[in-house]
Amino acid sequence: MKVDLNWLQDYVDIDRPLEEIRDLLTEAGLECQIVESGPKVPESVIVGEVLSVENHPNADNLSVCFVNTGEPEPVQIVCGAPNVAAGQKVPVATVGTSLTPEFTLKKAKLRGVISNGMICAEDELGLSEDHSGIMVLDESCEIGKSLNNYLPQTVILDIDLTANRPDCMSHIGVAREVAALTGKPLKIPEITLQETGPDIHSLAQVDVLAADGCPRYTARVIQNVNIGPSPDWLKRRIEAIGLRPVNNVVDASNYVLHETGHPLHTFDYDKLAGHRIVVRYAEEGETFETLDHKERTLSRNVLLICDGKKPVAMAGVMGGLDSEISEDTVNVLIESAYFDPPTIRKGSKQQLLSTDSSKRFERGTDPNANCVYAQNRLASLILELAGGSCAKGMIDVYPKKIEPLSITMRFDRLKKITSLDISPKTCRTIFESLDISVLSMDDQTIHVLAPTFRPDLEREIDLIEEIIRIYGLNKIQANSRLQFSMPETVDSMNPFLNRIREIFMGFGFHEAISNSLVSQDMAKAGIWGYEPVRLMNPLSVDMNFLRTDLIQPLLHDLKLNAARKRQHVRLFEIGRVMEKDPSSETTVREHQNLGVIMCSDMWELHWLQSPAPADFFYGKGMLMRLLDNLGITNISLKTTDFNPNAYHIFMNIMSGKTQIGKIGEYDPEFLNKYQLEYPVVILELKLDEIFKRRKEVFKYKSVSPYPSMTRDISIVVDKNMESETLMKEIYQKGSKFLKDVVVYDQFMDDRKLTPGKKALSYRLWFQSDNRTLEDQDVDRIMEKIFNILIRKYGAQLR
Amino acid sequence: MTLLEKINHVRDQFKTDLERISDLKSWEELKNTYLGRKGLVSKLFSRIEDVPPQDRKTIGQALNSLKNELQNQVDSLRQALQEKVDESREVDYTLPGFPIFKGSRHPLTQAIDEMLSIFARLGFDIAYGPEVETDWYNFSSLNLPLNHPARDMQDTFYVDEGIMLRTHTSPVQTRYMTQHKPPVRIVAPGRVYRNEAISARSYCMFHQIEGLYVDKNVTFADLRGTLELFSKMYFGSDARIKFRTSYFPFTEPSAEVDVSCFLCNGKGCRVCKNTGWLEILGCGMVDPNVFKAVGYDPEEVSGYAFGLGVDRSVMQKLDIPDIRMLFDNDVEFLKQF
Repeated sequence: MKVDLNWLQDYVDIDRPLEEIRDLLTEAGLECQIVESGPKVPESVIVGEVLSVENHPNADNLSVCFVNTGEPEPVQIVCGAPNVAAGQKVPVATVGTSLTPEFTLKKAKLRGVISNGMICAEDELGLSEDHSGIMVLDESCEIGKSLNNYLPQTVILDIDLTANRPDCMSHIGVAREVAALTGKPLKIPEITLQETGPDIHSLAQVDVLAADGCPRYTARVIQNVNIGPSPDWLKRRIEAIGLRPVNNVVDASNYVLHETGHPLHTFDYDKLAGHRIVVRYAEEGETFETLDHKERTLSRNVLLICDGKKPVAMAGVMGGLDSEISEDTVNVLIESAYFDPPTIRKGSKQQLLSTDSSKRFERGTDPNANCVYAQNRLASLILELAGGSCAKGMIDVYPKKIEPLSITMRFDRLKKITSLDISPKTCRTIFESLDISVLSMDDQTIHVLAPTFRPDLEREIDLIEEIIRIYGLNKIQANSRLQFSMPETVDSMNPFLNRIREIFMGFGFHEAISNSLVSQDMAKAGIWGYEPVRLMNPLSVDMNFLRTDLIQPLLHDLKLNAARKRQHVRLFEIGRVMEKDPSSETTVREHQNLGVIMCSDMWELHWLQSPAPADFFYGKGMLMRLLDNLGITNISLKTTDFNPNAYHIFMNIMSGKTQIGKIGEYDPEFLNKYQLEYPVVILELKLDEIFKRRKEVFKYKSVSPYPSMTRDISIVVDKNMESETLMKEIYQKGSKFLKDVVVYDQFMDDRKLTPGKKALSYRLWFQSDNRTLEDQDVDRIMEKIFNILIRKYGAQLR
Repeated sequence: MTLLEKINHVRDQFKTDLERISDLKSWEELKNTYLGRKGLVSKLFSRIEDVPPQDRKTIGQALNSLKNELQNQVDSLRQALQEKVDESREVDYTLPGFPIFKGSRHPLTQAIDEMLSIFARLGFDIAYGPEVETDWYNFSSLNLPLNHPARDMQDTFYVDEGIMLRTHTSPVQTRYMTQHKPPVRIVAPGRVYRNEAISARSYCMFHQIEGLYVDKNVTFADLRGTLELFSKMYFGSDARIKFRTSYFPFTEPSAEVDVSCFLCNGKGCRVCKNTGWLEILGCGMVDPNVFKAVGYDPEEVSGYAFGLGVDRSVMQKLDIPDIRMLFDNDVEFLKQF
């Protein structure tokens, strides 16, 4: 909201630097900035006084002037203006001034006479088009000062108001705050209204049929006005706050709105059918054309101001075209009403129409003093600006008076919240400075009446806030000793998530954070097959669903990186995915997951090793390392029929019988489409499940001091034999001495092996906890392993 | 096998073994096997006594020539191996080392984590809440009844009637309080959503950390103390803070908190737009209506709450010009942090 400093000073004296006022207001809750606007000239254009003017010896139309510019010696300047005269205060551009980017003033000889500067006309300074003569300044301008000090400047306080302070949406409201903060009195203009016309009741009639939406409606009529342009002072003021002058009556109405904060409306009295005002709700589907030339279709909750026949205004929001004040208007009806805030808010929202008026009504205006003050203020201003006569009396439909609230504040409560000892006397002063009247007060309590222009003051805590914000919020000092009660629990989720982040960082992955809002296609492609959650009011069609997995957003990120030709994309993200769940309180079930996507080589290009793509087995390796680090046991991968995106490889990750994730690799077809250089491996884990199963403490197991022995075996088995089955068998027969088994080779070549067969090589490590193993110990175990492999799996030794 | 045949066999065996030698250690073994004091050649020499005298000359010559032959080959192999070792010492060690992939944590989770660990040091537990919320938790319980103008301050994405994406982390306050008796001392990090046009300055999703402390006799001075200490720990020991009265329906009195600019230390610079101050969070004393909503007695307990926006402060700290960069996940961006 814009407040013109010059205007503000009508209501409060400001004798401190403006920056101080700005900071005081900001600390008290009216965050504001100082915005200056107006013409500026170079600083070296200064005020001079013409001491003497003589004719130029060599030119008739030039004169030679001596000018006092505050220097010890007067300056000689040749001037061509007809109006230059001794005794004038004039703007002098001194030598060195750049009046335009191309023109810098130098010491010059004009027809043989030296000129040390230039006396300027308005156009030469870029202030106007006027070149009729030099600019003559006011007597009071100080010689030697920069001209900028005397050019008219508009200083605006631009205030970012919070939603709870409708009272400050006006110059008087802000002035009240300044007065309270600086200890100055608030000066509200007095009104003496001459009521010379006939009785108002003989001219107009007001019927309020919707008293809940319009608790108070007042009207005055002014007859025989002369519609015309506003005087300059009024135009300047309303232009300063960004409004466009229209005519004297409309401008006066806007002026009083921004002065008092109470919105008013003026009707052309003669266009009101039956000279009647009827306040009622719209009928469903009723249409009405507002001032902005829009035909509006209304619903039942919109409050209307009507005349004897038809709507003439959307109450508190905007007037209608038919009854607006025009050049031909002779008689004016002024409306000053109090509308119910939620009613105006609903109407304004429904019509997507927010105006200076609706913004104030929906936050809450004053039904009492200010409503009438604004009415009278506008009536007297119209009489002053447009003449005419005011009808006797005011129509005032106010069946149920809204009483101010009386509130009690306890001083010990004030201290309990703020920690400060603020004296009862100081509290009284602060309340009174804010026009909050003090009804009574003792040592413990103060009893006040909250004015109806402050709808935000309802409870004790609201009064405590008033005290502290005026007293000074920053007077509350930090407790030098922090004390707090022991917390009930200590979180272990965040350390768990951080552990996973650190592990993936070590794997050479970048952590991603992607948008939870995705397109319908992405939500439906989710790897879990969840029913997606749709937004009722999305920003756009590509963000109208909540993500159902992390893979689709990561894939989206991969495509962006591919389009930018990034090498080696390795990303992970920890975040929520959403599933529709009508049984949930929020209708949504949220899962905390880890998503991983990889499209890279196993290592970056290097002279020591030729490149090798990181494929499914690289991903499986990371998965196993991660789960091992988190102490998750009994892991198996199971193929699955559910494969929403026709992945090349797609498997469920099981811990026992519970599914804890999915791992896969995209079909190479997919690679062609996006010109990716490497296989795309994906992995998504349900962290809620893993969190439940995690192991945080890894207990000591005995470490053998005796050397280990290794044995290698190579066997030939059927191609479809799973290496893991054989591995399990080897472990079974391996006795307590078998510590580790690794598959270190797989060989498939139908020319060198029997067709349909493959060769697998395992390395086995044996170790005893209490002695050095002998060859024959291990030979015996190997014998058993060979036998079972041959007998049970038809393996042949190679 | 005659001795002569044995000599030839040893020669053949030596040739095969020789080919397998690739380093000085195995060379040493080879030399000892054949030419050592108990080596194969010595063994052959010791058997010359068994040879008939008429053949001894021939056999002796054959043995000597075998010995010389093997000795020569062993010596020249030694030389070749030595050269190879010398050569290996000429490797160009300016060649780059093996490339280990760089990994990184997202700047936002780094910042959130740093803040959480500071609050952990100040005795706050971490609480979590859903990102999809009910109207009661997101608005009504926080003293934002239906048709309250302050609801306009937060443009909301709706999932259903009365169900929305949370617009702030404050609903975690009332969720937690409905489940726990005071005292309560928690911070709650998380994603929040606003239905605002996406631009360099604003995104439909961002991150907040909510703080809440409720106990007997908690005052604004405790709030100030906690936030001052937090600021010193996060922004550095020189950091100062100041309060500005503000308005949030769920706290009263409410305030915005500014911290002295970390870059210029309050002198004024580009980052703080020459004000010397940066806005970091909103806070206040918990409104009595919030206590009533969760069944706490506002006469019995008091408390403070604060909400800290992470994204903007990370952008200021790391000089990131466009908020969208945080969510593009371009690896060239992510790898910088």
